[in-house]
Amino acid sequence: MPVVDVDPDELRQLTGHDEKSDDELKDDLFNLGLEYEGETEEGFMQLEFAPDRLDRLSVEGVARSLRYQYGDDRGLYVPDTNDADWTFHVDESVPDERPYVTGAIVRDVNLTEDALDSLIQLQEKLHATMGRKRAKAAIGIHDLTMVKGQAYDADEGGPSITYKGVDPEGDQFVPLDSDEEMTPAEVLDRHETGETYADLLDGFERYPAIYDELGLFSFPPVINGRRTEVEAESRDLLIELTGTDQWTIDHICNVICYALSARGGTIEDVDIEYDDAAVTDDEYGPNLVRPDFSVRTKHLSHDRIETVLGVDLDQHTVLDLFERSGLSASVDDSVDADGTVYKVEIPPYRVDVLHPMDLIDDLGRAYGFNELEPRYPDVGTVGGRNERTRLEDAARASLVGLGFEDLLNFHMISADANYDRLNIEPGTDVIGSGEPVEITGPYSEDYTQLRSWVLPSLLMVLENNTHRAYPQELAEIGLAAAVDESENTNVAEWRSIGAVIARHDATYEDAKARLAALCADFDATLETPATEHPSFINGRVADVVVDGETVGVIGEVHPKVLVDHDLELPVAAFELRLDALSK
Amino acid sequence: MRLPDSQLAVLEAASATDPTAVDRLADQTELDPAAVTRAAFDLRDEGLVTVDETTDTSAELTEEAHEYLDVGLPEVRLYTAAIEAGADDEPTSMGQLIGASGLGGPQVDIALSNFARKGYGSIDSGEVAAQPDADPDSDPEAAALESLAAGESVDDGDLLDQLERRELVEQSERTVREVTLTDTAVTALMEGIEAAETVDRLTPEMLTSGEWAEVEFAEYNVEADAPAIEGGRKHILRQTADRVKDVLVGMGFQEMEGPHADADFWINDCLFMPQDHPARTHWDRFALDVPPIQDLPDQLVDRVESAHREGVGDDGEGYHSPWSRDFAEAVALRGHTTSLSMRYLSGFAGADIEPPQRYFSVEKVYRNDTLDPTHLLEFFQIEGWVMAEDLSVRDLMGTFEEFYKQFGIEDIQFKPHYNPYTEPSFEIFGTHPTTGELVEIGNSGMFRPEVLEPLGIECDVMAWGLALERLLMLMYGFEDIRDVHGTLCDLELLRETEVVY
Repeated sequence: MPVVDVDPDELRQLTGHDEKSDDELKDDLFNLGLEYEGETEEGFMQLEFAPDRLDRLSVEGVARSLRYQYGDDRGLYVPDTNDADWTFHVDESVPDERPYVTGAIVRDVNLTEDALDSLIQLQEKLHATMGRKRAKAAIGIHDLTMVKGQAYDADEGGPSITYKGVDPEGDQFVPLDSDEEMTPAEVLDRHETGETYADLLDGFERYPAIYDELGLFSFPPVINGRRTEVEAESRDLLIELTGTDQWTIDHICNVICYALSARGGTIEDVDIEYDDAAVTDDEYGPNLVRPDFSVRTKHLSHDRIETVLGVDLDQHTVLDLFERSGLSASVDDSVDADGTVYKVEIPPYRVDVLHPMDLIDDLGRAYGFNELEPRYPDVGTVGGRNERTRLEDAARASLVGLGFEDLLNFHMISADANYDRLNIEPGTDVIGSGEPVEITGPYSEDYTQLRSWVLPSLLMVLENNTHRAYPQELAEIGLAAAVDESENTNVAEWRSIGAVIARHDATYEDAKARLAALCADFDATLETPATEHPSFINGRVADVVVDGETVGVIGEVHPKVLVDHDLELPVAAFELRLDALSK
Repeated sequence: MRLPDSQLAVLEAASATDPTAVDRLADQTELDPAAVTRAAFDLRDEGLVTVDETTDTSAELTEEAHEYLDVGLPEVRLYTAAIEAGADDEPTSMGQLIGASGLGGPQVDIALSNFARKGYGSIDSGEVAAQPDADPDSDPEAAALESLAAGESVDDGDLLDQLERRELVEQSERTVREVTLTDTAVTALMEGIEAAETVDRLTPEMLTSGEWAEVEFAEYNVEADAPAIEGGRKHILRQTADRVKDVLVGMGFQEMEGPHADADFWINDCLFMPQDHPARTHWDRFALDVPPIQDLPDQLVDRVESAHREGVGDDGEGYHSPWSRDFAEAVALRGHTTSLSMRYLSGFAGADIEPPQRYFSVEKVYRNDTLDPTHLLEFFQIEGWVMAEDLSVRDLMGTFEEFYKQFGIEDIQFKPHYNPYTEPSFEIFGTHPTTGELVEIGNSGMFRPEVLEPLGIECDVMAWGLALERLLMLMYGFEDIRDVHGTLCDLELLRETEVVY
């Protein structure tokens, strides 16, 4: 979950509540859903929260939410914007994989070192969350005074910049954190940030780039040019976002504009002009004015609010709670319904509201969920266990009664442990050799597939406990699996019973005696015809046949297997399917 | 006369004229003193010996007393310093004397309080006046300490009590028993006493032959340790799971089951998790190298896709994320058992889904996390849901309050939270029983309309999840879950862990 570092002094200043102690702030933040995780070296609060309210990824947004919570601000707020001067031109050469752009101009921002740090943090956190590590959206913020717009549309229009696709080995620029002129390909090859994000441009014929009259100044989604770097002294900013989805970049842009507006900035529209041959979003068309501060509306019935929160509320209270959530609501008379229906206006920085239900959550937070008194629901149902786990429990009780220690191992294992070290090969017909259910691109070489039987896990436990007292009589009932295309999921899963007796004088007979006792508990008929199995000593191994069906194997473990597990004493073992014991 | 071996030995070692202490008898008979005492009392009951008991008081010097033996009692040192400073003529400042005497720390108070008590002088307003006639060389307390150190006894009980109050000696009492033969015993010994036959084990033959009535059974040292045995026992985590299942069944929940390897459709898409959600990327899930599931229920898939793209309801909006059926059909290890809830709620698992219903499972889930003391790649998730008409957040809170109360976790708090599949959502926090910290103990919420409508559910469903391992660690204070769960487990720890009930 995202963690945002917030300077408590800035929070007090931006909320206008100098009197709040750190502890009071922490309580207020907890009620908003922001959990205090600790403190940074500079004494900033580290706040962890779920990734829904992305508008709270900076101190400005957290302060805005607190001001609503305190009742200092009420209702919907949309900043005024000035008319567009600049144009963002999208050239038809723009890569199809990343065709969308949006942005805004922000003037007279009161940046300080702290405010700049906060802006950079906001940018990074938005990249990490909604931007899907820049795959879906990438943000570039530039010092506007360093951008030299070219006149758009020959000489007629205002200044413009152009988003286009370029030859990876073409134009050079000096990226941030470097003194060297590089082509985009060289950035990916040897600039630290370039290496980090190189994967995002895998397979691109042309790389995305943004140009002004002086040339390439931004290489999304990788890095900006040094020329337009924002400093604490910068006052006018150009914001550009590129990505794979217009809605997503537009809304991230809104979050940034609101944060900069809270720092005194004036928002100025930009015209976005997509070339005819450029990809555009059907919903929006080729000519856009951005940022898109349009207000969405949703409808919510009074009854539903009362039901979900479980309390009676009057209309006045509901309207007040909406306002304290930064929303504006009115009773909608046009809706022909039995009860009251509210029409709720949602500000453009809210990226999380998909359904009216999300607004009830806002009301609950404003009301204070911890003010609600818990009640046990007056609903009668009959509880019970399912047959499979009851069988498993009964078998486990029998094994424990026979003196086995019940174990619990991982279902994931390596092929080496599952097959090789047990001296068997996958896909043969012996017990345990089922086709592996393999993990695609496994993370760890110890966990590359699901186990196809339980014995390998038990032998590993013996291997890891040779320093502990003997005898060690261990059993486990747990999942085993193999590829089986006749199953709905293409994976056969079953519960398997595995047992080992490790003792200086353990023999086949010891294992057989216990297996017979187990089967007798379930009134199952056991036969043990001789068989061959590479994990066991020839002549001391048998099929486990229960009620006429071969369901497992029993025997003395082969010395090769024992030695491979660093065991210096004999082990007798058996394994069978749990369902063999069911009626 | 016939007597058991031990009694006969004691009788033969004792004397009719000189009382013999139990310790000496033990040396002579090579029995342990407890056995000799037991035998002596048995013999006394037979009228063969008398047992005289006396109480022996011994006093041992404490560490503090040993220190004073070297440097002198604090009050004596103060007096010596006072005399040297001429305080016998004229009262002298206490600070100066303490400095001169070299006393420090708690010894200053000790010196001052005993100085006056022993008549070495008086202290008034910080001025010390020494009594010129006092004779610290013959201080009885110092003398008593010297005597005890030399191994001599000190008979003055009051003096010893005083030293004990000063924590300079520790007195202990011990009963000394001395045994003397009676005339009867002397006569019997002269007539000869046979050792009764003692047997080691009761045998089936003794019982059938009646021989058991004639024999004496050899005495065991019943206090001695027996060899350790390890009985079988259920795994601690299974015991905890059983406890959870008991509680849930008692609260009216039915148990669910279903596949560990499942389509992403059931694991994530039904839950309204966008396909580009970070938890669905390669690094967080365990994709399996098996063919996709091709017989997903088509109509349900269409409704779920529509929820993702368009949202549900008049005002609903979908995600602005890609959605493909191929991804939905891909098979992976489930990252949560909510996949079971989806199978049950959709009716696909064949369960009755008319409200009201309560369902639960305590089953394994798989997360591609970094292994550490509190995180495993696979762990047990407790999953539960309640379906009914018009459920409220208060019902959710009441249900979970009741559940956690069963595990001694009271005063739970609900922190508003966000999950893609529930709204409202809450993280549940409780107070750690030993550290008192507020810790997260569950995640809960009401399923979103985008989850329920495609499944055809027209009432409310509230759900929650919690890692069983987390509950175990909270209840038992384990520090490293890897000692318990998995092939790196420590058998000794599992053998020694207290059972759950």
